Amino acid sequence: MTLYWIGDIVLIVVVLPVVIYLLRPVLAAARAIVVNVHAIRDAAAAGSKDLDAVPLLLTTQAQVKQTVETVANFGGSLDVIVDDI
Amino acid sequence: MPAAGIVLIIGVVLVIAAAAAFLLPTIAALVAINRGLDEAIAAVGELIAKTEPVKPVVDDINGNLDAAVDALEGLLVKKAGLSDSLGLIESLYPGAAAAGLRNYPESTSIVPPRISEVYTRGTLTLARLGREAPIAASSPNGPVLRHVERSEVATRLLYTDVRQDRPETLPRSPVIGTDAPTQYEASDTPGERPRMPDGKSGGTSATLVRPGEGEE
Repeated sequence: MTLYWIGDIVLIVVVLPVVIYLLRPVLAAARAIVVNVHAIRDAAAAGSKDLDAVPLLLTTQAQVKQTVETVANFGGSLDVIVDDI
Repeated sequence: MPAAGIVLIIGVVLVIAAAAAFLLPTIAALVAINRGLDEAIAAVGELIAKTEPVKPVVDDINGNLDAAVDALEGLLVKKAGLSDSLGLIESLYPGAAAAGLRNYPESTSIVPPRISEVYTRGTLTLARLGREAPIAASSPNGPVLRHVERSEVATRLLYTDVRQDRPETLPRSPVIGTDAPTQYEASDTPGERPRMPDGKSGGTSATLVRPGEGEE
């Protein structure tokens, strides 16, 4: 009977605090990870939205090509009209 | 049942309750993490898909710009010569001549000459193509800079023009119309006056006096 009482005391005074002590940081870490994952999700979504303008690069590409062609055509004239030193 | 057994059962229940109190929110948090990661992975997938065509497009743009830079550099070197080209570049962008010209590796070993303040207008235009350089913006203790105001005046003097000589007064433009103080007779032939200002007979534009002359 004495051993039963000793076991009860150990269970309530030692095991129960140890369980609480071990599980509390696990819960805190899990909750912190939730916040970080939501931040990552929001950042990725915002980054994806920012890249909606990427198709405009095709317009830039076409404009650059036209500009360079113009410069190339202008260069021939410039070669003629610009006086040599 | 002895009292010790009842206390034991109560103790076990307390331990299980404590574990459950912490593990259940942990499970809920893990579920939320899993859901959030799924959404993040989907967004990252969109990022990858949207950035996929960027590289070839940017490479193409860079290729075109490279061709333009090559052409303009070549034209500048053709017009000004390699040494003077570096001098011009150094005067417009202090320190830039050290990098040299891309298609002229020997240009990195050339000491850029000190360019005087007089350039031809066309060469300056060529050197300034595409941008207006912040000339003389750096410290006077830095590399040799072109004197902006003097160079403009000196360049102007290369071209003959009455207005560029900055005379005291310039002849005023004629007033035309029915209310003009001087009425001109209509010309039958373009470029030929029926009567000259001094009252002589008519003449062609080639024989006309320059503005300001013959008005005394």
